[in-house]
Amino acid sequence: GSWRSSLPPSERPGERRTAEMKKLYGKDAAKIQGMETAMQLTFDRNCDKKQPKYWPVIPLNL
Amino acid sequence: SPRFIALCPTTLSSSSSSGAVDEEEQRLRSDLRERFLRTLLLMTDKQVEFNMHEKVRVRARFGASDIDVLNFQVSGLETPLGVQKEALLRCQDVISCSFEL
Amino acid sequence: MLQWRDRSPQQWQEFVNQEVCVTAHDQQSFEGRVFTVDPVSASVVLVSFPETKLRPSVRVILGHAVTDVQILASGTPDSESRMKSLFLPDTAQVLGA
Repeated sequence: GSWRSSLPPSERPGERRTAEMKKLYGKDAAKIQGMETAMQLTFDRNCDKKQPKYWPVIPLNL
Repeated sequence: SPRFIALCPTTLSSSSSSGAVDEEEQRLRSDLRERFLRTLLLMTDKQVEFNMHEKVRVRARFGASDIDVLNFQVSGLETPLGVQKEALLRCQDVISCSFEL
Repeated sequence: MLQWRDRSPQQWQEFVNQEVCVTAHDQQSFEGRVFTVDPVSASVVLVSFPETKLRPSVRVILGHAVTDVQILASGTPDSESRMKSLFLPDTAQVLGA
């Protein structure tokens, strides 16, 4: 599968990501980034462990 | 990054003019985003009904979403042709999804 | 009016806690109270308390599928805190709910 179409935060240049988060979320940036990182880690871990396949195989909405 | 540019056109263009407006927008965006992330957390391990394009309706146990809301990882997906144990749904295929608390 | 996805956090915020009807792809429509609009995907989270069911239900309408959102009725501070307590158990404790 190609579910890594969007790079998780860990694979982005860390400093740029932090600066972007600061610009978007201001003083709450660290909190939001923490929640997002945890969620992306869960998603990545589940995908590594369970090896899910896309359903349906062909996108419904092209 | 493209995600940032897509998200942040208003803040970028007004960044030099008014710091207070930026702060207000950041506060609102943070609150809206945190609520959404909490919704996804609440959905974890729940039986969710997915209402998809082409009038497709399926049920599955929700696992996780990527942070850009492009893919949902689910288990026990009840498809018209049987149960797929582990699956990824493309969010572009999904119109809405619902669950009970 | 701007496309739903292109609106600002301020514009989305105005729908929070309001009773709305969301029109989506294929003319489907969904009613409920807005808990949030995700600023990343423009997805709308609705809560409803169906009379026929004991438990409240939550529906997420993906931002790409949203064509229109109409306000049906305004929320109150009470509806906001009731809704919040479903998602944020910490808040419920603070409020004594």
